[in-house]
Amino acid sequence: MHLAIRYLTEYSYDAPVCDNLNALRVRPATTSSQRCDEFHARIDPEARVSRHLDYFGTEVLEFGIPTGHEQLTIDMRARVVTSDPPPPSEGDWESLRSGAYLDAAGEFALPWEDQPLTPGLQELEAELASATGPLQALLELCALVPTRFEYRSGATYVGSTVTDLLNAGAGVCQDFVHLSLILLRRRGIAARYVSGYLWAAPEDGGADSLEVDTHAWLEALLPGSDGRGEPVWIGADPTNRRLADETHVKIGHGRFYADVPPVKGVYMGAAASELQANVTISRLDPQTGARA
Amino acid sequence: MLARIAHELYWLGRNLARAEFTARAVEAVFQAELQGAADALPGVSFGSGGLLAMLDSVTKHVPAGAETLGRLTADAELPGSMLASVERARAGARTVRDVISAEMWEAINTTTLTLRRDGAAGWGAHAQPYVISQYVKQRTALIWGVADRSMLRDEAKCFLDAGGLIEVADMVLRMLRIALPSDEVEQADGSALILLQAVGGFHAYLRAGTAPPNAHPVARFLLFERAYPDSVAACVDSLHEVFSTADAGPRNSKPVLRVSRLAADLDFQRRALPDGAELTGICTSTQHELARIDQDVSERYFAGAVPAGWG
Amino acid sequence: MPAGARDNAAVGSDAIALSTEIYRPPTPGFDELFEHDGSPRPAARALIDELRRLGPEGLLEAGRRRDAVFVQQGITFETSGEDGPSHERPFLLDLIPRVLSGDEWRAIKRGLAQRIRALNHFVDDVYHAREIVREGIVPWRLVAGCPHFARAVHGIRPPGGVYCHVAGCDLVRHSDGTWKVIEDNVRVPSGISYVLENRAAMARLVPELFASYRVRPVEHYPQLLLGALRSVAPSAESEATVVVWTPGPANSAYFEHAFLARQMGVELVEASDLVVRDDVLYMRTTRGLERVHAVYRRLDDDFVDPLEFRADSMLGVPGLVRAYRAGSVAIANALGTGVADDKAIYCFVPEMIRFYLGEEPILENVRTYLLSDPEVLEHVLARTHELVLKPTGESGGRGVTIGPHADERELTALARRVRSHPERWIAQDVVRLSTVPTVTGDGSLQPRHVDLRPFAVFGERIDIVPGGLTRVAPSEGSLIVNSSRGGAAKDTWVLENGEEADRAGVGGFPISDTLPPALPDLRYGRWSEQQQQQQQSTPSSH
Repeated sequence: MHLAIRYLTEYSYDAPVCDNLNALRVRPATTSSQRCDEFHARIDPEARVSRHLDYFGTEVLEFGIPTGHEQLTIDMRARVVTSDPPPPSEGDWESLRSGAYLDAAGEFALPWEDQPLTPGLQELEAELASATGPLQALLELCALVPTRFEYRSGATYVGSTVTDLLNAGAGVCQDFVHLSLILLRRRGIAARYVSGYLWAAPEDGGADSLEVDTHAWLEALLPGSDGRGEPVWIGADPTNRRLADETHVKIGHGRFYADVPPVKGVYMGAAASELQANVTISRLDPQTGARA
Repeated sequence: MLARIAHELYWLGRNLARAEFTARAVEAVFQAELQGAADALPGVSFGSGGLLAMLDSVTKHVPAGAETLGRLTADAELPGSMLASVERARAGARTVRDVISAEMWEAINTTTLTLRRDGAAGWGAHAQPYVISQYVKQRTALIWGVADRSMLRDEAKCFLDAGGLIEVADMVLRMLRIALPSDEVEQADGSALILLQAVGGFHAYLRAGTAPPNAHPVARFLLFERAYPDSVAACVDSLHEVFSTADAGPRNSKPVLRVSRLAADLDFQRRALPDGAELTGICTSTQHELARIDQDVSERYFAGAVPAGWG
Repeated sequence: MPAGARDNAAVGSDAIALSTEIYRPPTPGFDELFEHDGSPRPAARALIDELRRLGPEGLLEAGRRRDAVFVQQGITFETSGEDGPSHERPFLLDLIPRVLSGDEWRAIKRGLAQRIRALNHFVDDVYHAREIVREGIVPWRLVAGCPHFARAVHGIRPPGGVYCHVAGCDLVRHSDGTWKVIEDNVRVPSGISYVLENRAAMARLVPELFASYRVRPVEHYPQLLLGALRSVAPSAESEATVVVWTPGPANSAYFEHAFLARQMGVELVEASDLVVRDDVLYMRTTRGLERVHAVYRRLDDDFVDPLEFRADSMLGVPGLVRAYRAGSVAIANALGTGVADDKAIYCFVPEMIRFYLGEEPILENVRTYLLSDPEVLEHVLARTHELVLKPTGESGGRGVTIGPHADERELTALARRVRSHPERWIAQDVVRLSTVPTVTGDGSLQPRHVDLRPFAVFGERIDIVPGGLTRVAPSEGSLIVNSSRGGAAKDTWVLENGEEADRAGVGGFPISDTLPPALPDLRYGRWSEQQQQQQQSTPSSH
């Protein structure tokens, strides 16, 4: 798919603020199934933007506005070409203990220490116990999480923990992913958090342009079939009950949300801020199912 | 020097000066009210009620009464009390211990600890206002003396002095605004001894003296007499001096220029205003100007005063 | 000096008989000042003689003066109970120094320098090529699982390639006399101010103890530190501006922060004094923003920059990592060094030395067990009563259980905690620390266990201040020496030239050829003299 993405963020402050420093992780990545052709970010008030790749390989844009201002606009535009990833391989549980797998998994297989083991979590774990292989477990997880939990924005906030999700019985994609990551890692499957954009058009197509939000899904490391071949990271979207495909535009990944927040900033001043954020995705190629 | 440190020193100066001024004023009012002569004579009215009104911003909702003066000495709960001012000075001095001298820190620390202990003995006691005021007067004089003798005459000393100077000028103006007769009774000039006692300027006035200690000449003296260090004009002159020393570029420094304008203004008023002319107006405008100077000082030297924190 | 003490000294000609009389070294064990047979070690002989002359009364009297001076000068430390609130008390300085011969010190110094160079290599490697991981020496999961592994500084190489500018390794002496490293501190090791203050206090309180010795000085540490900071500061055109960054007066080591800033003659800043503009760090002064080239920071990584580390940290300076990444400012210690003094990584330091430096370690580790290995875990849990268990994420002696000193119930509870998170624990063999005679409440001498924290400064080269902080356990038999747990400290003497040097001949006051003029007398005197002259001259005019 050919997609044009516009991510517009506007902060307004009720009194002038200064030394407003921000780090953006918004640029679509270039991977084996996705290419970012154009990328442009405009900041108002104008600011010099510096870029670097972070530890996880995500491009970070940083800028600071030293002088007083009451408004901040971050206007990002990108054009991306995506394609469906190849079908996932079917390795067995045994392969998860191989040296090659553990090397590839690295820190994404480590238990997530800050999250306490609550009874609700153990119950969900039991439901996945019968899965015949890692891929099966991943697919069952993608079906289980959205069935058990209601997607409701406002049920949680950016700093919510998995316990909050379990207590509320509802949350947003970020919470669904965090829960899934814990369950996968406890099962020995390396898994990482993915931040990005989603072309969330209805099945029959129809729209050329959509108003969406930034999205989150995950990638799980699945061993090669029959213990052969390299393990491969497979995208899975527990919010939408399916594996990731060409409608998913990846920005970057990390251990959890805090490693890839789209916009993170601090400013000097006691003023309160109000945020308006919009993601608009437009499809540029013909609707008739042409694959990029 | 660090903006934060300069800011602490400036407020250390202000708090010390405030404690000192409060002590003198409490003592004067205490003496006057003991003799109960205030309402018999025409002239200025300055009693415990007036004193409270003067310290209004820091003593909200304290009823004027028998206990008032006592509470103004060592009631830690009352933000305008001498003890509260000294406590704030000590907290500030603690953070700038390396900048002020060890002797100065010890002098401030001892004063606070003694005041805490003796003050707690009961601000209801009859002679308390007098005893504590005496102590605070002596100790603040000692602290300033130690500062003069033990601190390097550098930027740090400038900001400490600046705080003290602006506080004294502000306090004198506050007092005059409360105590000066309103327009209707302006003709009835009377004794203003209490004002001189409240700033400790009685002897200076007599020595400089050409006029009897009536309201108008006293007010003129406290406003314009540059030879008297606690007059508004003298404070403003000294402020100009310390800021010119501390400032890297005094020629285009907002606070320096504003202080210099105010000094010239006061000098002009002194010469232009006829004897007996109304002075409340000039007190008000001068006080506003001092507030603006305070603002300019914050912006230029203290990085816009202490930042409110990161949002 | 009390008369009794003099009498005591007068008796003494047979050193051995007298020393057993004033002190009995523990057996088995290693005492720093006494041989097993109770006679003073050669380097300590003169010191023991002086102590005998002082006597219990003299020591108690000096102790009283010490406490008064420390409280007055604010040389204090915060103590914390198990859960209770902390409170400030004078730093406990024991008046009997520990004495190290010059030869012994030279070996320790070489060992420390070697170790610190290896740790510095390791930090660089972990954030860049990860060669030690690829060689299979250190498991990556252990590094990545380290709470202080700082992903935010991945790929950043600080000016000069120095990460561990200030290091304080904790050494202990085994009962066979060998030195071992028990812990590395390359984040924000504290205690150096006490080393300097202790020496100054000793010289004032008990100058007589120094009489027969030439003790190598320590007071140049601030200049060493300043020099190291300047040498790594990226300032081409002018002299580098260095600051000490403190979290504030509420911090338990604030005294030390202020002390170092004062001794180096640099500003002591808090977060609100600093601001980053366009990748450059500035401090807010009365004359506007002034550029800062090097920061000696005394707070943990987590709090330095809310944009990169903990977002809720109000102590931090937003954008500091950005400036650091741009190379416009040096931060000491570098961000991310915590990965090297992690208690689990500690096990690999000897291997690091072989891998990075191709040398054999001069100083050994204490035998340590990593509990993430299930077999090791079972082995350790079966003998918790004879091991020390330490949580990897804690410092300052918190959470440490010494098996032989714990009862059955404590050990059972401990085993449960360890089993639930074995990767968060290590176990070590119990080291019976060496002892030094220590003054007790009645002025008599008793053995107390000690460790030693020397301080190294790494700039253009590695400098180690002779000696370091000798920390003393609070009671007889106790093995926990952290000052936050009520322990005291001792002055640590490193002697010149390895042997006790005789000071005779060095002493005496230098007499200069040019004496100052006599003190002026009152003016009044001279005036009256002139009058006399006039009077005298009066008759002659007649």
